[in-house]
Amino acid sequence: MKYMGTASLAELIRNLARDYDIYAPGRQGDAFVLRRLDLERADGVDVPWNPFRLRESLKPLWFQTSRILSRWTADGPEPGPSIRPRAIFGAKACDLQALTIIDKVFREHTHPEPAWCEARERNLIIAGDCTESGESCFCTMVGHAPHPEAEFDLNLSPVDGGYLVEVGSPKGEALVEEHPALFQEASAEHEAARDENRRTMRASVEAQNAPYATRDPFEQSIEKHRKSRLWEQLAATCVQCNACNMVCPTCHCFLLVDVDAEDGPVRVSCWDSCFEGGYARMAGGGTPRLQLVERFRNHYFHKFVSFPRNWGITACSGCGRCVDACMGRIDKRDCLHRLETEWLPSDTLEGVS
Amino acid sequence: MSNGFVPVPAVIDEIIVETPTIKTFVLKPAEPIPFRAGQFVQLEVPGLGEAPFTPSSSPFETDTMEITILKTGLVTNRLHELEAGERLGIRGPFGKGYPIPKLDGQTVLVIGGGVGLAPLRSLLYHLFGEPDCCDRVTIKYGARNPAEMCFKRQHEGWSARQGVDFTPTIDRPAEGWDGHVGLVTTLLDDLDLDRSKTYAVSCGPEVMLRFVTWKLLDVGFPPDRIYLSMNRNMSCGMGICGRCNVGPYYLCKDGPDMCYADIQDIPYALG
Repeated sequence: MKYMGTASLAELIRNLARDYDIYAPGRQGDAFVLRRLDLERADGVDVPWNPFRLRESLKPLWFQTSRILSRWTADGPEPGPSIRPRAIFGAKACDLQALTIIDKVFREHTHPEPAWCEARERNLIIAGDCTESGESCFCTMVGHAPHPEAEFDLNLSPVDGGYLVEVGSPKGEALVEEHPALFQEASAEHEAARDENRRTMRASVEAQNAPYATRDPFEQSIEKHRKSRLWEQLAATCVQCNACNMVCPTCHCFLLVDVDAEDGPVRVSCWDSCFEGGYARMAGGGTPRLQLVERFRNHYFHKFVSFPRNWGITACSGCGRCVDACMGRIDKRDCLHRLETEWLPSDTLEGVS
Repeated sequence: MSNGFVPVPAVIDEIIVETPTIKTFVLKPAEPIPFRAGQFVQLEVPGLGEAPFTPSSSPFETDTMEITILKTGLVTNRLHELEAGERLGIRGPFGKGYPIPKLDGQTVLVIGGGVGLAPLRSLLYHLFGEPDCCDRVTIKYGARNPAEMCFKRQHEGWSARQGVDFTPTIDRPAEGWDGHVGLVTTLLDDLDLDRSKTYAVSCGPEVMLRFVTWKLLDVGFPPDRIYLSMNRNMSCGMGICGRCNVGPYYLCKDGPDMCYADIQDIPYALG
């Protein structure tokens, strides 16, 4: 374990800026948001510590809202352009768990998604422990902790006016070796302070989610409601704005769109939303999941039933951004709780497809 | 790293008019695209879009690929306006295709509707190309009217093959038609086939698949002997973009030919 002071962190950011575009937390009113750091224009490195996950998900840093996957040239189709490597600060455990989730589909797959894989290999992640719990945070409900356990290059735990630094990858190891002046050996007290904060944080997230506590696996409680009218109640205030999909760090649906650009036809991959009425519409007119309630239910089935069956993990990292973003005040924790504790006749709502 | 999003360029070699609404495009890809019967490809009109099609040609033929297309949407409408010599893109093949190894020594009941005979023709080429791979082939094919029958020039040849019987039907009586009249399901009432030694493989519009499935169950076919070429909107073709799911399955990756036993508990899987 290493220790680094806050001035050393600023120095590290300045050094990394030579090889990477820097993305780091910034303040916007009361919120911490993601911003691109322009060190040439800024007076100094001002990277505030975000106590819990940023307002928006970090997903676009690997999975851009739209990106060119292929381009037709005179010689035929070619792959799309490469991305610039990015060094990312402010990532929390839920953001990293989301990478593990999307990796299953985009990376550990017979057909990898090349843009995602490239970004995953090129990007550098300097993560951090949570030091406060956001109101909607519920990582412990989906089996995770408010401190990173994997997928980071370096992880920072605030202790003693600086940071305890954990190395999580060969890239992180190299970073420490390249900057010997910035890192010192950490002490047993530093580690003890980190562990104490982690215990406190876990207890805090658990305490705030006690009202939503569930006993059964989500898969089980959702499966038993396959045809229940409860879905109509849960979806009653959904206005299909797609905000939950957009802010979600694990949602990864996309649509390929072909565009006849000036310098040749290109294929663009764009974010998509399973709440969209035309999401699954076919040529000739058929549309599976025509009703909003069917799409709402499919969203839960996908995250908590199908994805675990296909990939062995739940497709939710418990970041709570969907709770904050929902204008219909639909709270996923509340929905999961009600799915376990409430019961309505099961033969009234037609099935899931 | 393999990049499944970049198409292989292909030139339209020939266009065969099958019916007033269906054309077969004979394509010459820049490099061979080997596929198994029932697997599909994404065919791209550059700058406009792609659509998924299962080739209708023989899987043993790799220099050219035939795709039989009904004019029914944005991409297919444009395809029908194209002429030989134009350049398209092909990605794939994707999906699992038909359960060929299971058909070994079995009777295959092929049930097609309209342009749904296209992927099944690829299966027929496979079955006819490997004479020992199945015991007997029974083909039931329904079209709206005689003019909308696909691959008419081949029907006689299929009927004449040993171990093959081919019965076409049209929905309503038509002048000059002396064959069977009625929906394709009406050809399934008196099947002289051993249910424990027969696989039924069907492709057609969703509503047809639904009624064919119910009929097959009615006449004693077990769910694990019914295979359906299912329809959903597919974009990536590789099981990663999300939209073609039926319950936990992605049709593009796990299908598009699904065993009914796997989807029977997913209500509305057949619309």
